[in-house]
Amino acid sequence: MNEIKLIIADDHELFRNGLAELLRKHDDIKIVKSVADGSDFMELINDQFEAEIVLLDITMPNMDGFEVLKQLQNLSTTIKPIVISMHSDGNYIAKCAKMGAYGYLLKNTDEAELILAVRTVNKGKKYFSADISEKMINFMSTQSISENVLSNKEMEVLGLISKGLTTKEIAAKLFVSSRTIETHRANILKKLEVKNTAELIKKAVKMNII
Amino acid sequence: MNIKTLILIIINSLIALVIALLAFSSYQQFSNVLNDRVLLQLNSIKTLKQNQIEHLLKSEWERFESSDIYTQDFDSSVLKLPDSLKNSTGIHDFTSYHIGKKTTIGFVSNSKKGTKIKVLDYNKVKKILLERTGMGDSGESYLVGEDFRMRSQSRFYPNKIPSTLSVKTKGVANALKGINSRGIFKDYRGVDVYSVYSLIKVGKLKMVILSEIDVDEVTIPLKQLRERLAGITLGVFLLGVMLSLILTRIITNPIKNMQKSLRIMAEGDYNQTNEFIKNSNEIKEMFDALANLKASLQGAVKFSDDIGKMNLHTDFKPKSANDLLGKSLLAMRDKLIEFRNNEENTRLLSKRMLVNGMENERRRLSRELHDGVGPYLTSLKHYIENRVENELQKTEMKKIVDDTISEIRLMSNSLMPATIDDFGIGVTLTNFIESLKKSTTVIIEYEDLTQSENSNITNNQAINLFRISQELINNSLKHANAKNIRITLSEFDEFISLFYFDDGIGFDLDTVKLGLGITNIKERVAICNGEITINASPGSTTFEIELPIEL
Repeated sequence: MNEIKLIIADDHELFRNGLAELLRKHDDIKIVKSVADGSDFMELINDQFEAEIVLLDITMPNMDGFEVLKQLQNLSTTIKPIVISMHSDGNYIAKCAKMGAYGYLLKNTDEAELILAVRTVNKGKKYFSADISEKMINFMSTQSISENVLSNKEMEVLGLISKGLTTKEIAAKLFVSSRTIETHRANILKKLEVKNTAELIKKAVKMNII
Repeated sequence: MNIKTLILIIINSLIALVIALLAFSSYQQFSNVLNDRVLLQLNSIKTLKQNQIEHLLKSEWERFESSDIYTQDFDSSVLKLPDSLKNSTGIHDFTSYHIGKKTTIGFVSNSKKGTKIKVLDYNKVKKILLERTGMGDSGESYLVGEDFRMRSQSRFYPNKIPSTLSVKTKGVANALKGINSRGIFKDYRGVDVYSVYSLIKVGKLKMVILSEIDVDEVTIPLKQLRERLAGITLGVFLLGVMLSLILTRIITNPIKNMQKSLRIMAEGDYNQTNEFIKNSNEIKEMFDALANLKASLQGAVKFSDDIGKMNLHTDFKPKSANDLLGKSLLAMRDKLIEFRNNEENTRLLSKRMLVNGMENERRRLSRELHDGVGPYLTSLKHYIENRVENELQKTEMKKIVDDTISEIRLMSNSLMPATIDDFGIGVTLTNFIESLKKSTTVIIEYEDLTQSENSNITNNQAINLFRISQELINNSLKHANAKNIRITLSEFDEFISLFYFDDGIGFDLDTVKLGLGITNIKERVAICNGEITINASPGSTTFEIELPIEL
């Protein structure tokens, strides 16, 4: 059985040592390197250092985990990053997942889960625990991603404009200030490259967005 | 010396001078005229009498000569004529030969026919002399012999023999020298008289005739005139004093009033409303000018009062290009505006620094807990996993450590979420509100319209927006009794808009400022150079906050 070659990238030596000690108990996992920040790690990767998995902290001096993930995406490397972080917020998790992390672990994750994650990722699968997944999905559900040229808010404003509401009425309906609506309206005109409301409605109908 | 005294002195000394000059000159004139008239009258009287006497003597002489009676017609017992005299033909003064020194004029004629001697009847002469028409009370005409002795009876000494009276006066002396003239001098009594004198020379007889009148009598009208003039002078002078008193009152009263007004103004009271009698155009104009001055000073006072109360937008126009006070006040106002702006800037700057310092400290503490203490606790957990043999203990200890780490996360988050630095304000507010939803029944709707990539919101703006939102939500949850909260955070090219709404009970902006932390919110908006509009009516409380995009 092949050993899983693993790099730990974290700025806390005590943490690295504790983690190493924990992992050493498992014969199939071998810690091949331990680095204190992202730039040291990227040097290793650029030197074609061989490893299957990196346990990557986000908050590090010189180069943080996000930057490492971003750079790894642009490299033809096979190393699989598992983010191990103190941050438990969904936005961190979502961002890491989006940037190609194979897993996301909290630093106080139990030994069993840690080992499971390493082994799962080593098989080429992603590992996000139920807790982590929930946090991530909760966050993502609040994010409104619009596929259109216009943002969701702009679509809403456009809809109300087409119904013939005045700026003031729209502002009252959407619980924002008149100036905000005025600005939205100007942005919509700009984005759809039209000069006035009449043209805007015409174009919007043509584009089939209202 | 006050103006009243000055005017009194000047006017009255002028009046006095004029009266004195007039009185003096008219007195002089009158006195000269009087002198002339008196002397002229005396002269005519004297001339008349001289002529009468000369005529008398000549006619008596002629009659004497033509008479053929050659007698020595005189009382030889009283008249002791020397022979030499008896042989000298002519008119003679025999007085010195009379035993009683009685005035005696005699004629002597020697011819072949014999010697004639006759004594002139003195009564004829006396009659002429005693004719006193036009001579007043003290007037007198009299004759004086060559021996400076009186030849006619003195009016004043009727009982004295005339030749015992010596008349050595200036007039007699002059007349004997042949000077017929007039003058004022002392007569034989030692009394000042007007005197006209001339020599009577008929044959061998030489006598001086004088017509005189006492100065005292003549000058009685002069004295009366003098008294009257003095009276008039006094009267005019008194009148002058009275008139000048009235005049000075007319002039000085307004001046005094003006003085009073100015004194009150000098004491700093520009609101006096004393009305004064303005009895001439000049004084009216003066008081108008005073009123103008007062008005302009009042304007200046009101303006400085406004400035003093820091109402720096009060307008003020200087009265003229030379209105130094007005200009200085304007300069002062401008300086104060500048000063206040500077102060406001300084205050904002220091507030900004204070807030930034506080936020930095929170950030440091938050990171320290999260990234410093957190990993140590995880290390502790590793240690427990590695070293603790007892499974039960191990599980319990791990749980305690996990709970501690969770607590640390919460603390760190409430101090300052790391997300705000790593993801910006939009996501931070999302997380904050998501976490709140677990602990409240109030429906919170949040719409994040910030740019997720390349946001132009600065870190400071993000922190301030986060704190403002925290404060607002906290207020709504704690005090507003709201059921719905809606928050929209929009990022545009020019500005960031935070719109906050709740349907709570609202509040009175004037009374609950501090309790609701609205002051803090306003401060934070000011720090970010933003604007805030608050509308706090029951059922619809809105906050519109706009911050400029700083590029």
